[in-house]
Amino acid sequence: MPIEKETMKAMIRDFHGFEISDEELDLVAPALNGYLSDMAMLRGLDLSDVMSGRLIHADEGGEK
Amino acid sequence: MADTDLLKLTISELAPKIKAKEISPVDLTEAALAQADRLQPKLNSFITMLHDQARSQAKEQEAALMRGEYRGPLQGIPIGIKDNIATAHIRTTVGSKVLADQVPDEDALVVTRMKEAGAIILGKENLEEFAAGSTSNNLHYGAVHNPWNLDHIPGGSSGGGGANVAACVTFASLGTDLGGSVRGPANFCGVVGMKQTYGRVSQRGLQVTSFNGDHIGPMTRTVADSALVLQAIAGYDPLDPSTVPVPVPDFSEFLDRGLSGLKMGVPSDYYFDMLDPEVESAVRAAIDAMAELGVEVLPVGLPSMKYAAAMRIAGMADSIVTHEPLIEKGRDDYGPTVLYRTLAGQFVLGRDYSKALKVQRIIKEEYARVLQDVDFLITPSAPVPAWPIVSESVNIAGKDYPTRGPGSGMTSRCTSPSNSTGLPAMSVPCGFTTGGLPIGLQLIGRPFEEPVLYRAAQAYEAVSPSLSRRPAIANY
Repeated sequence: MPIEKETMKAMIRDFHGFEISDEELDLVAPALNGYLSDMAMLRGLDLSDVMSGRLIHADEGGEK
Repeated sequence: MADTDLLKLTISELAPKIKAKEISPVDLTEAALAQADRLQPKLNSFITMLHDQARSQAKEQEAALMRGEYRGPLQGIPIGIKDNIATAHIRTTVGSKVLADQVPDEDALVVTRMKEAGAIILGKENLEEFAAGSTSNNLHYGAVHNPWNLDHIPGGSSGGGGANVAACVTFASLGTDLGGSVRGPANFCGVVGMKQTYGRVSQRGLQVTSFNGDHIGPMTRTVADSALVLQAIAGYDPLDPSTVPVPVPDFSEFLDRGLSGLKMGVPSDYYFDMLDPEVESAVRAAIDAMAELGVEVLPVGLPSMKYAAAMRIAGMADSIVTHEPLIEKGRDDYGPTVLYRTLAGQFVLGRDYSKALKVQRIIKEEYARVLQDVDFLITPSAPVPAWPIVSESVNIAGKDYPTRGPGSGMTSRCTSPSNSTGLPAMSVPCGFTTGGLPIGLQLIGRPFEEPVLYRAAQAYEAVSPSLSRRPAIANY
């Protein structure tokens, strides 16, 4: 779901981001939508046990 | 020897002749400069040409040779440097208008090392604005053209380097690779591109880069030449914390060991999913050829690669932070493609950035496991051959994707994963389309096992349909 322009403007204002005009927000939208769809793809992925120090084993490996 | 014949030699062929004083670095440099002058209007491969400096360096190297000071196989060899790598007292634009007048005070370490090896720098090579894209169609400095077909892109972002090496202007070029920017131009221009293991080569002096997976690597006409150039630039740099203090092997020593005894993995996921039929056919033929040469071919699974797109989120966030001071200084001087893609990064949440790093970790683990069972992987270098410069989109597996800006990452989908994993990966020419455009394959290895890649690539190169073929434009 696209982020509302008002939300983006509020983020810029409250987090001291780069000012972007309404017209420019339309130009930023494709990259932003790509980001959101990439994140949506991860919704079903359980990342809870992914730790930088976890032990891995060769026999857990990918399909052959 | 005619200049064209001279310029078509490889570094490996030239080096003993230079050492034996049969070929003069001054003559070689003059021939290369003449080729550069002749082709610059066609290829637009340089942003800054360095005639005087090149002549001066060539005279120094020739004098050194006459004094008996041999500095190795790169001595007297004309090369190019991508214009996002710092060169002392020579402007380094990063392909941008914002930094059009930037003149660094010192050389990047790789430039220092190439100079110490005796290489002659012909110029600073054209690239995509801020090295952010795969076309090398630069808004400020003009499009670089593919020497095999001037209407087509040379790949990017190190397009000037790829074009120069293919067209026999330079014998090697140093490019940079954050998503495939060495391997992509190498693939599209029909030359060899090496992105070595992250940490093998210092990035000190690489401008406007990312903390996540940028590399400086060589483009050359042959595998053996790639080994020689990597030898010169590899090694721990105490002033670059990204480098790793591991020994640097003699890469050339491994070249002729053949494929017998090696296991080659062919991924059943991701890499072969969305390919132009001619690309797939050429890479499959290369796999068969390598099997005949004695490599054991095994299918391998990389199922987590379906999440690979998420890794670019980290890049988005990195990009806005990297560009922040430059946007503040010269926002109006940015091209719209880079500016708006970069500005989108300010909306990436820290939570999502961290998730992207976890996905990166899963994928790294998967490669680590798979590379316990095989010595290296083989994949295509790109899903499609070079597309026309004027094309706004490229069709991949029946769907159109933009060639610039958001969505254009599809064109580098085969190369970008190795920037996230940090694994060594190289592109090697493996044939041509019916339209005469180069096709490349990619070899991916274990960390710091570039010797295995060189060994495999050298064995394949000898039977590759691309062997010794040069574009017609290289001829006088």
